[in-house]
Amino acid sequence: MLINTVLMFLRELLPLCLLLATLLVWHRSLWRHFALYFVLPSALMLCLISLQMVWISELLDGLGLEFLYSFLYLSCFALLCVAARKTSYALWGSALAAACLFSISGSNLLLYIWLPTQTENTPADLVLGSALGVGIGASIAVLWYYLLTELKLWRHQSFALLLSFTGARQVMMASALLIQSDWLVAGPQLWQTEQLLSEQSELGFFLQALMGYEATPGLSQLLLYMVCLVLLFWCCSFMEKKR
Amino acid sequence: MRSLRRYLVTVLIALFTLISFVAALQSYKQSASRAEALFDQDLQVLASSLSQQYQGGSQQELGLALQVWQKGELVYRSALAPKSSMSDSEGFSEHNFGGKRWRVFRQTPTDLLTIIVAQPLKQRQQLADEVITASIYPVVLSLPLQALLIWLVVSKALSPINRFSAQLSSKKANDLSPVVLEQVPAELDQMLKTTNQLFARLADAFDREKRFASDVAHELRTPLSVLQVNLHNASARWQQSGISDPEGSMLALQAGVERMSTLIEQIMLLNRTNPEHFQARTDQLDLAGLCRQVVADWYPQIEQKQQQIELLGVEHLTLRGDAFALRLLVSNLVGNASKYTQVGGCIQIELSVEQDKAVLVVQDNGPGIAPSEYSRVFDRFYRVGGDRHQSGTVGSGLGLAIVRDIVALHQGRISLGAADFSSGLKVTVELPL
Repeated sequence: MLINTVLMFLRELLPLCLLLATLLVWHRSLWRHFALYFVLPSALMLCLISLQMVWISELLDGLGLEFLYSFLYLSCFALLCVAARKTSYALWGSALAAACLFSISGSNLLLYIWLPTQTENTPADLVLGSALGVGIGASIAVLWYYLLTELKLWRHQSFALLLSFTGARQVMMASALLIQSDWLVAGPQLWQTEQLLSEQSELGFFLQALMGYEATPGLSQLLLYMVCLVLLFWCCSFMEKKR
Repeated sequence: MRSLRRYLVTVLIALFTLISFVAALQSYKQSASRAEALFDQDLQVLASSLSQQYQGGSQQELGLALQVWQKGELVYRSALAPKSSMSDSEGFSEHNFGGKRWRVFRQTPTDLLTIIVAQPLKQRQQLADEVITASIYPVVLSLPLQALLIWLVVSKALSPINRFSAQLSSKKANDLSPVVLEQVPAELDQMLKTTNQLFARLADAFDREKRFASDVAHELRTPLSVLQVNLHNASARWQQSGISDPEGSMLALQAGVERMSTLIEQIMLLNRTNPEHFQARTDQLDLAGLCRQVVADWYPQIEQKQQQIELLGVEHLTLRGDAFALRLLVSNLVGNASKYTQVGGCIQIELSVEQDKAVLVVQDNGPGIAPSEYSRVFDRFYRVGGDRHQSGTVGSGLGLAIVRDIVALHQGRISLGAADFSSGLKVTVELPL
């Protein structure tokens, strides 16, 4: 169905678009270098994962893909921390972080497009759905870019905070996959905000893409999220002091 | 924002894309939801039709009319169907019966069996309208949101131009400093640079003009002083040597030099008090005390001409002003009154307070000025009757121009009129307190 294709593209592309927009605001004057550092590793990683997806998914008793994605999400966060902490690593660190997220989104989308169940979708549905998904994701990214530019001019801390939320979101996604694979204990559920703000609603969807909003978070997830948020924010502050 | 064009194009395209696509998705979801409800309704109708055939019951709720003909005989009809055939032609057609217009479908699967189904056209249109309306609503509702966002984006894009315009508007007449703006887009940058270059050139030109007049006057003052001294000495020697001067050449020469000296002094004062150049150092001062000092300054000349001078009105009048400029103003007015009033004439100075302003009136019983000349006497170098002023008094034609500049400097008003005496001029100056 058309709506499934749109949601699939949005789910995979929106977080990537938001992260790229945030990083482009950060490296505004060096965007050409950033693009170069981003494109080459992204293409390489996407090719590797896509070509070896069957083999990867069969590893670790069928949990290979979950493990790989968790690793890539955590790598994305770690690279953002390194980029923020060390000015000399900022450009390639953030480009590699974006490449990690791109390889996850890209391989998921390729899987969706070439999946045997796609026979239910007509090519027109796929083209129209992907155009709608890409259009919405890219539009939000453009608006997010200009909003962040203004925020950065107003208060640099606000930019650092939003970057930290975007980084912590990747850890939240990794923790969800690890919990799903029983590699991490979820702990007691802290609250339930599904009725208040559903993850399926437009705002819930956006917040999940931006900062990893979870309607029913577990204790371990939340602790991990908070620690990572503070850590990345601290790294950003340090970067500013050095400059 | 680095470029207005890039900002507007990218943000507006992003906004249109986002809102249009979201509206399209909402239309899709709403229409799908309505269509699903309609299909469910069809299922209900079908189920009801079958249950009626086997169990009987109310048939008014169906909304469909159904006939089954077998070998030309009506073997089944629903409550809304007439006893006669609803349609004689195969396939879709439209007919009237039961006071309504119907869409009818007739099918004859075998030669012996004919099935005719009909639905009211109004009901069909209502159902179609529901689906179409559901798909149009999100698009229509998104329009005000689009308008609002476009307004916000365009306002944001034009904000550097508004800031630039506000800075230009708030500039004072004598402020030729460059306009400084942060985050200037490329399209405005060239305009800003050109404007600042223009300001720089203007400031340069004003400065040159100011320096030129001042420098020329200053440079002429010294040789003129030397000339005056030499003339005085030569005149004294002529008198000692008994040289006669029947044509009065020496006196005419002395008068000419004195006039030139006065002119130069006035040009220098005019430059000092020009509102475009003068930076007033305002302070609280007593205008009445200042008038008394000026009268004391001019008293030797007034006494020499056997004139009477009166200072009337309040004894103390405090206002904010530049002491040097106001003293020059009063001095020029009193000096003019003394110079152009005949021997034995009267000069009257009156000070009063009216609401929130100080009023200074200086009048005399001299020959006065014709009302047609009132507006012209404030022009620089203009003298009533030209250089051959009927009083024969030495003057430069700059005294009242200086007075007007000083009044403008203090945001006051000056007016001329006939004196309260039988003849003469009355000058009224109003200064804010």
